[in-house]
Amino acid sequence: MRSGAYSSSATIVGYHLSGMDLTGPSSELVATACAVEKAGADYLVLPDRTAAMPDGASPPTALIAGAFLAAHTSEIGIVVTAATGYHEPYSLARQIASLDHISAGRVGWFADSATDAASDANHRREGHDPAAAPETRALEFVPLVRDLWDSWEDDAFVHEKDTGRFVDPAKIHVVDHVGTALAVRGPLNVIRPPQGHPVVFARAADTSVAHHADVLVSDVPQQGHVLAVEPFVAADEAAARELHAAAGSPAGGDVLVGTPEQVAAQLRARHVLVRFTTRAQLVAFTTHVLPLLDKSAPTGATLRERLGLPAVANRFAPTQDKELIGNAR
Amino acid sequence: MPADRELHLGLMFWATGTHQAGWRHPDASADAAYDIELIQEVCRTAERAKFDFAFLGDRLACDPALQHSNPAQISRLEPFATAAAIAAATTHIGVVVTANPTYSDPFGVARNLASLDHISGGRAAWNLVTGADAAAALNYSRDQHWDTQKRYDWAEETLEIARALWDSGDQPINHRSEYFSIDGPLGLPRPPQGHVVLLNAGTSDQARELGARQADMVFAGPQPTLAKRKEYYADIKARAAKYGREDHVTVMPGLTPIVAPTTEEAVALHDQLNSLIVLDPEVEVGEVVRAGGIGEGFKRNLVSASEAFGVNLRGNDLNAVVPAETLARVSEDGRRRLAEITRLTRRTADGPERITYADLVHATPQQLSHVVVGNPEEIADEIQLWLEERMADGFNIYPAYVPGSVTAFTELVVPVLQRRGLFRKDYRGRTLRDHLGLAVPAVR
Repeated sequence: MRSGAYSSSATIVGYHLSGMDLTGPSSELVATACAVEKAGADYLVLPDRTAAMPDGASPPTALIAGAFLAAHTSEIGIVVTAATGYHEPYSLARQIASLDHISAGRVGWFADSATDAASDANHRREGHDPAAAPETRALEFVPLVRDLWDSWEDDAFVHEKDTGRFVDPAKIHVVDHVGTALAVRGPLNVIRPPQGHPVVFARAADTSVAHHADVLVSDVPQQGHVLAVEPFVAADEAAARELHAAAGSPAGGDVLVGTPEQVAAQLRARHVLVRFTTRAQLVAFTTHVLPLLDKSAPTGATLRERLGLPAVANRFAPTQDKELIGNAR
Repeated sequence: MPADRELHLGLMFWATGTHQAGWRHPDASADAAYDIELIQEVCRTAERAKFDFAFLGDRLACDPALQHSNPAQISRLEPFATAAAIAAATTHIGVVVTANPTYSDPFGVARNLASLDHISGGRAAWNLVTGADAAAALNYSRDQHWDTQKRYDWAEETLEIARALWDSGDQPINHRSEYFSIDGPLGLPRPPQGHVVLLNAGTSDQARELGARQADMVFAGPQPTLAKRKEYYADIKARAAKYGREDHVTVMPGLTPIVAPTTEEAVALHDQLNSLIVLDPEVEVGEVVRAGGIGEGFKRNLVSASEAFGVNLRGNDLNAVVPAETLARVSEDGRRRLAEITRLTRRTADGPERITYADLVHATPQQLSHVVVGNPEEIADEIQLWLEERMADGFNIYPAYVPGSVTAFTELVVPVLQRRGLFRKDYRGRTLRDHLGLAVPAVR
């Protein structure tokens, strides 16, 4: 994981929507996001599927649902999942950068290097077999996306009406990445995102991308990591146990079972990513558990500030703090 | 007398304006490319005027050297993300995204388009481009750019796969070919429009054939003469007829309306915009400048103008009037350009308002679309002429600058078109197919 400690002391709560049915009308998703935003959750993670779900419909592309939600919300962070095996880095870098502009700096990318046979079988084309060396591609992918985000310095887009200078070409840089799996020249065709780098999330176990992420998610408590939790909340403990038993295969993470007070007391990390298997559980957690947590007002407008993460220096900017750049590489 | 068919209107959204110096107009939003609220507001303006769609162009490379010749080509928000944000802020207007199959995989593009169609309630369209752009190849781990035939073969097969995926339900498609191995199914419900609306541009034989056989809307760069416009329209319809699609394909050329309440004000606005163009210094003869997306273009100086008009114009004051005897010596192509200058500026070689050297410079590079300068009735006359003379079924409106040119057209011209019975006063339905009068295709 990249350097930078969390500076905030309040509890940070992200919502992971992976287990939920997101196939309904877009108005349902908007209503959920707005309710969760109002209740004070810090961010949503939108899942993505590059193959049909075995047992039903898949959600819309996370990048598109994310842009739609960004337009309907004003504070909550929006983290979109995108797999390194099934995207092109240039396209993904500009999509995430564009989302960051659209949301005024509220976006994160949940990088995922996992591949699966069903997705591989949907993405074979001349010159690309996603099943061939996906780790090599993933290892190059995240640093390359970060370089593309840096290809415009913060003040390269000058648009000076009086002089007619639209951009400053000296502050727009090629990336010239030539790796084993990927070759991308750049520059990106989007100006630098408001956050510099949108926040990069990864599973701690996803070793091909974890080293370059800002935020790591673990299923067990670990210093400096976000803890994945799966709550089963009900008015009384017995009902909560029944919910847990009925859930069958859990989504993974720390399972929390009990009344709202018990679940709030069981949180074993200051930053948790809550996975929900049903809309009812999302509503129960939001209504009854979230108000019990120490949720001070967010410290910044961007997701990066809200999570207490440091700003990222631009690797191409000539007079930046070299030590910071060194840490970021 | 109104034409026998309904006019369609699209908004070609370029944040810089489609005029090279549009972003420098005093009322223009110079950073509109990254101002999503302004983009949404511009689309709501078009929606209030009952436009069929807003159109988002794209290019998969960044070349800062284009900043004076074609600044819109340097950078922009990514079309799918922008389209989703536009969909969130509107209720009826269609949203066209540009996607180039050469640099995307069929499953990804099918999934993005289906997602956009779902999230917008059936308002998505795909501008399928094959982009002859060597710079893009370098951003997509390719060491060479493919030739035209391969790009078209790849694009048409991508389209076939995308439509099969939209129709796939819970059944695999198991597409196998030289280029692709795609199992499916898509995993998303069938899009509300069945197949998202398809646009295709171009004048080459391959482009016309693909458009006639597959597209719901086609458009092309500006044709220099009335005869060529009619020929293009007739050719598309004749080709479409081979496939029983002549009533199905809408021909939508680009149109840049420079409109103001009076002709004099419109001409002044056109002059003002041209005066904001940063000209190139007079250097080597024959030097060309990359124009990005529209191929090579002439530089903007009297060296290039001398070539274009076939007379030596170098070293003159740009604001000076060109002597009539000089204009009498221009080449045949130069005479066509002079007629175009008079059409736009109302200035002539010997009239009360005379052609200047600057006019010759501005008439040298290729225009992006057909420009028309005038009062609202004059603009409406031109639109009606194209419709009735079968040169167009509608227009992609190219606003010279934003948001001013969009509001000018919607407030001044659209009411005239509606009063003449040429354009709808309200939407008939909620989907883009509804606006175009196209049925949802059956599952194949």
